[in-house]
Amino acid sequence: MTPVSETAAPEPLDQNEDHRRPYGLLLVAVPVLLVVWLVIWPIISAIQRTVWQPTADRGYAFSLDTYAFFFSDRYSLDNLTVTLWTTGMCAFLLLLICLPIALYLRFSTGKLPAYVQSLAIFPMFVPSIILAYAFIRVLGPNGMVDILLNSVGLPKIRTPYLTPWGPVIGLVWDNIPLTVLILLAGLGNVSNQSIEAARDVGARWGQVLWHIILPRIGNSILVALSFSVLGIFSSFTLPYVLGPAAPEMMGPFMQRTFREVNDPQMAITQAVITFGFCIVFGLFYVRSVAKNQGT
Amino acid sequence: MKRREFMFAAGATAGALMLPRSAFAVEGRIDWYTNSDSNILDFWANTVKPAFEAANSGVTINLVDAGDGAGLISIAERAMAAKQTDTDPQADFFESADPHLPSGAIEAGIYANIKEAGLSNYSKVNPLAIESDYGLPYRGSQVLLAYDSTKLSAADAPKNWDDLVAWIKANPGQFIYNRPDKGGSGGNFVRRAIHQANGLDPSLFTVDNYSEELGNETLGKAWDILADIAPALYDGGAYSSGNTQSIQLLAQGVVTMVPVWSDQVLQAIDQGVLPPDTGLVQLQDLALCGGFSRAVVIENGVNRDAALKLADFILSEEIQSAILTELGGFPGVSWDYVSPELRERFADIVPTTIPTFPGGDWEAAINDGWYRNVAPNVDRNA
Repeated sequence: MTPVSETAAPEPLDQNEDHRRPYGLLLVAVPVLLVVWLVIWPIISAIQRTVWQPTADRGYAFSLDTYAFFFSDRYSLDNLTVTLWTTGMCAFLLLLICLPIALYLRFSTGKLPAYVQSLAIFPMFVPSIILAYAFIRVLGPNGMVDILLNSVGLPKIRTPYLTPWGPVIGLVWDNIPLTVLILLAGLGNVSNQSIEAARDVGARWGQVLWHIILPRIGNSILVALSFSVLGIFSSFTLPYVLGPAAPEMMGPFMQRTFREVNDPQMAITQAVITFGFCIVFGLFYVRSVAKNQGT
Repeated sequence: MKRREFMFAAGATAGALMLPRSAFAVEGRIDWYTNSDSNILDFWANTVKPAFEAANSGVTINLVDAGDGAGLISIAERAMAAKQTDTDPQADFFESADPHLPSGAIEAGIYANIKEAGLSNYSKVNPLAIESDYGLPYRGSQVLLAYDSTKLSAADAPKNWDDLVAWIKANPGQFIYNRPDKGGSGGNFVRRAIHQANGLDPSLFTVDNYSEELGNETLGKAWDILADIAPALYDGGAYSSGNTQSIQLLAQGVVTMVPVWSDQVLQAIDQGVLPPDTGLVQLQDLALCGGFSRAVVIENGVNRDAALKLADFILSEEIQSAILTELGGFPGVSWDYVSPELRERFADIVPTTIPTFPGGDWEAAINDGWYRNVAPNVDRNA
């Protein structure tokens, strides 16, 4: 053993303060510029196009007409409501399904958890269009479930196909892997010792979960939910194929307004409003990441 | 052959193959372009091309996929430029194009007047399908009603709109059509309701007569008709999200009747997706809308005469029957010129009229209006 290691604290490669900063900035410059060019700029330009509209006399003027229309239009508001409902319902169900799976995977040993984990990750590799058609064949009318029920003399199910529950079931299935993985990563923070200590003083499972585990993974839950919520809010394929014609979720609604109704101005307005809701969840995520960095 | 000669010959052949394939038009090789789906290109490659080349020795067809409508129009624009400079347009035949595009093409004289060209089969063309002397309607497709013949006998199948509505209401949950913007089968069913609401007169709607006032008046009545039948549709007013999904619901025995495209349903029957005894019926008071693909011959192409021969050839009974049996399309010729056996087999779908509906502003108004007034089922429980 050499005693040198005790004294040698890691030192910055370049010790000159004046030179260090630009190099660090250069490293992040490319992604930052890409984000500015491909994300930030389109957002600004979209917002600008919706509030700065052409007038009758070929000029441009500030106007909130499209927003006023959206928020006074029963049909648009119904679509927004169903999107919020779907997102909330998916988030709730995801937590309900994924937390037990993650807890099981974290606290059990042996071969079985490995199989359970690969099964939980499996939906990640299934493209959503294939999922949609498989869903129709299994849960759809006269699908596999109906055939099985019928063979044992039970009545058919009330199929969720073409109802708001269709996209909910599809989206929850699609988002299980990401949620499980993030929760599992968060559960890594919970040390076995703290749980053992709690059980030594007589805590039951419910108390361990409530007082020891949940406080440690609160952040992960927030991150997992904001990730899946962001994806679900603007999802397209599953609500389009499995959902009802009306009310429709914002994804299909925007696409239809843009292409079929041929009204790009309104489509951009819908996009900006969708973005407004998503940014709230985005801020949750950024806040929790910043909090983690700070500690 | 000596080694050296072989090398030389091989090099020359390889070099020739490496030249851009359409660098110059070749006498006796028809440069053919399409913007249709791959099933059409396959049909030409496997059926039309071998038959035509066997019947006309020395003439070949060079099948080129132009991608989309814009690709085809740019080739037509090249032909217009070539006409002005009296050079070779390197194109002879468009499989499916609108002769009115690009604007001024007919006046510039780049499209052959097929009516005047003296085609021996031109008189057979279905007069309902002819829109212009410069476009040759050789295949079509129309929306009709497909039904499960185990649940509904052919004698009871509705033959006009009122019977259809009565049937839908008498059999709740047994009919579904898809959202009008997601596929033409539901789209043209909605357009048929618009015709119904406006005195069965398709001529009321033209590509440039849309106004908000006229739209609200004419379409509003159609929304009433469609909202009225909504509670009797599948699941109390659900709408499938495309042509294929409607066929899937019919195939799974969920519903008894759906509107379908003729070519898609014939293909589905052919592939076993739907049983062979699937019933097909067309409304006889006014048919559901349909459309034709029109072939166009380039007037100033090097192979104009051969291309016209090809145009004549695709109207022959051989190809027209193949369009029915292999492509699942509609013949471009009148049904009298289809073999009696096929006429018998497809008797139910023979149209007496092929109404059309304009696109443009009407389309946007229908797509928006249907979603606002019919899809939400506001009157469902009222």
